[in-house]
Amino acid sequence: MTAGSVSKRSMQKIQNYLMAYAFIAVPVLSFVVFLLIPMVVSFWWSLNDYNGLQPAKFVGLQNYIELFTKDKNFINALRNTTSFVLLGMGIGPTLGLLTAILLNQKVRFLSIFRTAYYLPVMTSLVVVSTIWVMLYNQNGLFNTLLGSLGFEAVGWLSDPKIALVSVAIASIWQGFGFETVIFLAALQSIPREQYEAAMIDGASGVQQFFYITLPALRPVLAFVYIYGIIGSYQIFDQVFVMTSGGPMQSTSTIVYFLFGKFQDLRLGYASAIAYVLFAILVIFSFIAFKMEKE
Amino acid sequence: MKTQKPFRFYLGRFVLYAVLVVSSITMIIPFYWAVSTSLKMEQFVFSNPPQWFPNPPTLQAYLSVFTRINFGKYFLNSVFVAVITTLGHVFFDTLAAYAFAKLTFPGRDKIFFVLLLGLMVPFQVNLIPLYRIMATLGWTNTYLALIVPNLTSIFGIFMMRQFLKSIPNDLLDAGRIDGCSEFGVFWRIVAPLALPGIATLIILTFMGTWNDFLWPRLVTSSEALFTLPVGLAQLQAKNTSNVAQIMAGTVLTALPMIIVFLFMQRQFIEGMTAGALKE
Amino acid sequence: MRTKKVLLGIVLILYMVLSACGAQPTATPSTAQPTTAPNTEKVTITVWDYYGEATPIKPIIEGFQKEYPNISVNYEALDWDSTLEKLNVVMTGGTPPDVVTIDMTWLPKFAALGAFADLNQLSGGKLNNVAWKDAYTAGGLESITYQNQIVAALYDFDVYALYYRADLFEKKGLSVPKTWAELKEVSAKLAEGDKYKYQWLAETFHGSQWIFENGGSLLSADHKSVTFNAPEAVEAIETYASLLTDKSAIYWGADQGERIQGLKDERIAMFSDGPYNMGIMKSAAPEMAGKWRIALHPAGKQSGSYLGGTGLVIPASSKQQDAAWKFIEYAMRVENQIGVYKYAGAAPALTAALQSPEVNIADPYFGGQKVFEVFLEAMKTAQHFPYVRQWSDVDVAFSQAMEKVGLGQMAVKEALDEAAQTATEALNK
Repeated sequence: MTAGSVSKRSMQKIQNYLMAYAFIAVPVLSFVVFLLIPMVVSFWWSLNDYNGLQPAKFVGLQNYIELFTKDKNFINALRNTTSFVLLGMGIGPTLGLLTAILLNQKVRFLSIFRTAYYLPVMTSLVVVSTIWVMLYNQNGLFNTLLGSLGFEAVGWLSDPKIALVSVAIASIWQGFGFETVIFLAALQSIPREQYEAAMIDGASGVQQFFYITLPALRPVLAFVYIYGIIGSYQIFDQVFVMTSGGPMQSTSTIVYFLFGKFQDLRLGYASAIAYVLFAILVIFSFIAFKMEKE
Repeated sequence: MKTQKPFRFYLGRFVLYAVLVVSSITMIIPFYWAVSTSLKMEQFVFSNPPQWFPNPPTLQAYLSVFTRINFGKYFLNSVFVAVITTLGHVFFDTLAAYAFAKLTFPGRDKIFFVLLLGLMVPFQVNLIPLYRIMATLGWTNTYLALIVPNLTSIFGIFMMRQFLKSIPNDLLDAGRIDGCSEFGVFWRIVAPLALPGIATLIILTFMGTWNDFLWPRLVTSSEALFTLPVGLAQLQAKNTSNVAQIMAGTVLTALPMIIVFLFMQRQFIEGMTAGALKE
Repeated sequence: MRTKKVLLGIVLILYMVLSACGAQPTATPSTAQPTTAPNTEKVTITVWDYYGEATPIKPIIEGFQKEYPNISVNYEALDWDSTLEKLNVVMTGGTPPDVVTIDMTWLPKFAALGAFADLNQLSGGKLNNVAWKDAYTAGGLESITYQNQIVAALYDFDVYALYYRADLFEKKGLSVPKTWAELKEVSAKLAEGDKYKYQWLAETFHGSQWIFENGGSLLSADHKSVTFNAPEAVEAIETYASLLTDKSAIYWGADQGERIQGLKDERIAMFSDGPYNMGIMKSAAPEMAGKWRIALHPAGKQSGSYLGGTGLVIPASSKQQDAAWKFIEYAMRVENQIGVYKYAGAAPALTAALQSPEVNIADPYFGGQKVFEVFLEAMKTAQHFPYVRQWSDVDVAFSQAMEKVGLGQMAVKEALDEAAQTATEALNK
């Protein structure tokens, strides 16, 4: 019993570890069975010529080499997706934060406004996209407005130079309510006392924002951007409904392109596309994760 | 505080409400359009110029939805699956998020990063292997396939981890000194403080499960297990135009979520944060 | 107080979640196993149906089971949008169904991978006592044949014909165009500003029709080389594109909306499409009844159209192929084929059914015209898309060329040559 205090402390430590492992056990198990195993399987496919119906043929890195050296459509999809992500991430979270701040101003009828912002997120993407197709119609609302201001009509979805931007606008509109809700929840968990103390010290609204709000939102901001980048790199539904990747593949994105290969039962090739995307996202997230830690 | 409200204050409020009202309207329009279309006769769905108000309004589409498909059964299935899944997320995701955000244990950050990798592979690619796992377990065409793979989510853990990170450590230490176990700390201190986050998690999970189409479509084959989106897809016929019916189905699907959302924000977000802060 | 309630709630959650987890392993065997019948001769076939609630397949099951009491049918309702995806997943990783409705445009890859059973062998050469070649038109039979096997039973069919506004034709004293030259002339006279145009679609269905009409093809017969940039094909697409430069056609991109809108606001007065479109017009534009007629699409050197539709297939890995064949044969009986029109408003593929008085009726929406006669005529010269593994690459390349032409970004020859190069690379893989 002489070394009791030391071993007791380390016992305590081990107990705490075990407790922590117990807390994460179910999600980790679920991850291994339902995600990691499929991921390993599909990674193996990416090294094979495989269609699911006939035996797989090992081809090494052939699929990857073909993607980067021969497949112009893939390079195009990669470029389109990156532009889409830059557009979406440049605007979406900022809008979400602005609206969250507005809604946090002791507004009356708060729940109605909040529901309004959240409606597009709750409505199915197919409906939302269908309606945007109507707004973008040659004789739709936007062109009518432009016309009344004396501008020429725009080929929102038929001009290869504009279509991707149109899809991005619709996606931002559809998705920023999600960010609003997350930011709002985070804003609401900042203790009021902090602001009251700052006000007594004579801090202006802008100062409060930069010294209290922003630091408190840091973890949530990190979440919104990391998850946002991961999510928008995988954009699919809007393209599927609004443009089918056209005109002239100008809105074809990585996952839309991958989907086509999947429908065509080119499972090896489709998996290779997925792992290129995976590599991109791992790099992004790794950087973001490191930045968050600092 | 109430003594002087300068002109600037009123101007500020006016601008605030103007911005809120105008932007809210632009957010509502598509949903309004879905409702309005669902009340139209099919022949007026595509009329030119577009009908903003159904003329004449009709409930025909809703009647069709209720008579042509087994709406009640699909609805109950959806409720069952969404509620169980949401409960699973709230418990498992928050608990794991707490461990990742506030506890120290060997390999914590590495494990978390590996979990995050799961978000980075498009679902399409994992579909076939995952389906094979379900088939091996004998779970296809059962509620198990609908629920178990979705009982926790990396997204949920990630989100909750970020929310929990902003809870001051002093509060947790105070609980530990009071003799709470780690679970006790989580239960009595962390969970109440995380309520705005939990409410958000509930909304997002419920909504995601409620709207999910692809996975339930793949793993269910008997009609008795169909969820609402899967059941409603039967309305889409190749050879007729029935947009009004599809919109009616969409409205009926979205309505419960809107109700859940309205309810959630009053009961949880506002009430609970107030309660938690008072303590 | 409230926190207490929440705590209680979470405990309940915990209890429910944990008990749900504990119940899983024991619950699995009973739910997963279908009840095995005591009679060993009795078999169960699983039928996938993508028609949705307007299905012609569900109504025949009762009659089928009366006739074949030892075959029970496990009917599964699907929808057109997700069937291909589900079929992909189940064919590659699960137990496939025994009978499936497929869109004929999905056939190329499945046929090339040997995914479907040979119905010629299962049927002993006859479909309901009629030789296969007599049951369908030549194009119809061709569309279900792959390397001397019959890989599908064509159930409903899709071929393109010309829909036109008869009332406008009459008002302007125009007659129905039978040749490309006449079409050019008539469409120019019909168009007024933004109105009354020929709908110009930049995809393979429509582009191929023009090429077929000029005696051309998309790929060579052995599928080894690309022919959609051969002189007759280039000439065909140039003629098609000249309708745009004449301003007598309207380029229908994604921002034009649904075609039905174009019919209603009269931007479109002529278009080419299949019989399925009639049902859409009747339900979405009943006020236009009597204004439209259907005729063979104007011919170049000959008539032509793509041929598609719905096929009934038996996956090669099905273990109940004989029973599955009995079901298909039953579905292909003339009296049941009529249901394709009656329930789904589509065109039954069996020639006898198409000519039956129940289907070949004078359609009041089309001014009392017997519309199916036109489609049957079109089917005689229609051809299916090449059944080659790389079909989707060819399709994508050709459609892209059509878009470039339609948007005026590239000359026809140049665009088709470029697409041919991409497609050839894919074919040689």
